[in-house]
Amino acid sequence: MKKLSLIISAGLLFTTFANAEANLPDRQTELPAHAKAASSEYLVPRDLATIPNTEFGNKIKLGYSLFVNSQPMRGQYVGNEQNCANCHMQAGMKANSAPLWGAFMSYPAYRKKNDKVNTYAERIQGCFKYSMNGVAPAVDSPELVALTAYSYWLAMGGLLDKYDMQSTPTPEMSDAVVQLGGKADSFVLPEKIAAALPIEQRNKLAGRGYPKLAKPAETPSIARGEMVYKQTCANCHGDNGQGLKQDGVQSFPPLWGKDAFNWGAGMHRINTAAYFIYENMPLGKSVQLSKQQAWDVAAFMNSHERPQDPRFSGDLKANQEQYHNHQGYYGKSVNGKVLGVHAFPVKTVN
Amino acid sequence: MPIKKFIHRLIGFSALLLSATPAFATPPPAAMVCVSCHGMNGLGNPNLAPMIAGMDENYLVEQINNFKNGQRKNPLMTSMAMTLPTPEAVQQVSAFFAALPAPAISNIEKRGDNVIITDPAQKLIYQGDWDRNIPACATCHGPSGLGVDHFPRLASQHADYISQQLTAWQTKQRSGDHNNVMATIAQQLTATEIQQLAQYFATMK
Repeated sequence: MKKLSLIISAGLLFTTFANAEANLPDRQTELPAHAKAASSEYLVPRDLATIPNTEFGNKIKLGYSLFVNSQPMRGQYVGNEQNCANCHMQAGMKANSAPLWGAFMSYPAYRKKNDKVNTYAERIQGCFKYSMNGVAPAVDSPELVALTAYSYWLAMGGLLDKYDMQSTPTPEMSDAVVQLGGKADSFVLPEKIAAALPIEQRNKLAGRGYPKLAKPAETPSIARGEMVYKQTCANCHGDNGQGLKQDGVQSFPPLWGKDAFNWGAGMHRINTAAYFIYENMPLGKSVQLSKQQAWDVAAFMNSHERPQDPRFSGDLKANQEQYHNHQGYYGKSVNGKVLGVHAFPVKTVN
Repeated sequence: MPIKKFIHRLIGFSALLLSATPAFATPPPAAMVCVSCHGMNGLGNPNLAPMIAGMDENYLVEQINNFKNGQRKNPLMTSMAMTLPTPEAVQQVSAFFAALPAPAISNIEKRGDNVIITDPAQKLIYQGDWDRNIPACATCHGPSGLGVDHFPRLASQHADYISQQLTAWQTKQRSGDHNNVMATIAQQLTATEIQQLAQYFATMK
């Protein structure tokens, strides 16, 4: 009975959110960034081999698969050559790489600005619209159910282990509960975890997002960034940011151009990109860029055209003023060209 | 055996091979020295020479140059590479072998195709081990390790060659990779893992 009422209340919450959607001016708030925490504090998700062989387990497995290889959704929900795991290393498990467990425990997120709320599922819908330059799957679609279930499983397993409940299996929950996110009042955590992690603490897990860098000593420079790019990045991401593709499979993601994330994605912000790059690139961490280099190369990457901002409705300046009051080049002139004017098509799905 | 004598023998051996296998495309004269070990078909031989058929052309050029400039240390291959006097010769030889067919792999596996993986080599190849900053091999080497651009193919490569190379990265007998990525990753692998990976790639069909 308790479970039932939980599902019903979750359903009611969803209805409220759906009505509120029309009033939301901007879903793409800046990714939260914080100083890097000690590694001992990070959640460590459970081994994939512990995913149960149940109906719920199958949703988790599908979520993992779609996260690592998002291209089966190409043309339907995904409009570019990106995979979720391109920006969330280790299939969304890695601390300081915008891990899914950190995000899951941060939603639903209440926004004071308009007194509205995003659920976790709605946050992922935003990823499809912007980072994947596509169209969001419906909340009750198998894809969104799978991605939220996978995120929940990463978070809950990590929490159980951290609070010495290694032998407790990850509880199975309804789709509706999982899609709200771990910060919902109705989200049930084992007593011990709930006591250690009151609601207002849940969106502050160590290792969430990308760690914040101090402002660079010198203003990020596109010219210096180009040198960093050629020396360090082009080998995998191509001379023109197109990534590397072989036999139709894009192995290294494009960073700009028609197949990259669009002008609304979080990664087009210079600061977000700098945080990501400094912490996570190159693969294997054989090289550590300086902080200044990370800022510079982020500026270079984001000074190129990419697919249009989906919120654009014909007036670039208006769109820039409404949605781009942050560190980015959209609507600004770079080498004599205003970025966004020659943007590539948005929502390239069937 | 002195290296010179060994080379003479190989060249003799290659002449023998040439007469015995007329069905293959005729290699450019500069590649005559290569076919003695790598074969007319470029498929190589266990414990002698790697498969180079179907490898990315730029990768082969880079590697021949690495033997010449000492970034790859192998007495035999260094002297062989030296027989290619000009960049044109290096290019020609590389283009020849790049154009040869490598064995087809059925059931190509992409990252995400399998979630629960128990084979330790397969797990490293498709999921990596991020506690040691090891990304999945397939991230750079592609689905089933078939190679991506200048990241070489590993699928159906000879096991002894793969394990030897991973060890060479560890002992710095091989370098010249961009950003030192492969050397850094190889450092993290155990001897057991190297054997497991080599076997797994070599037996891919």
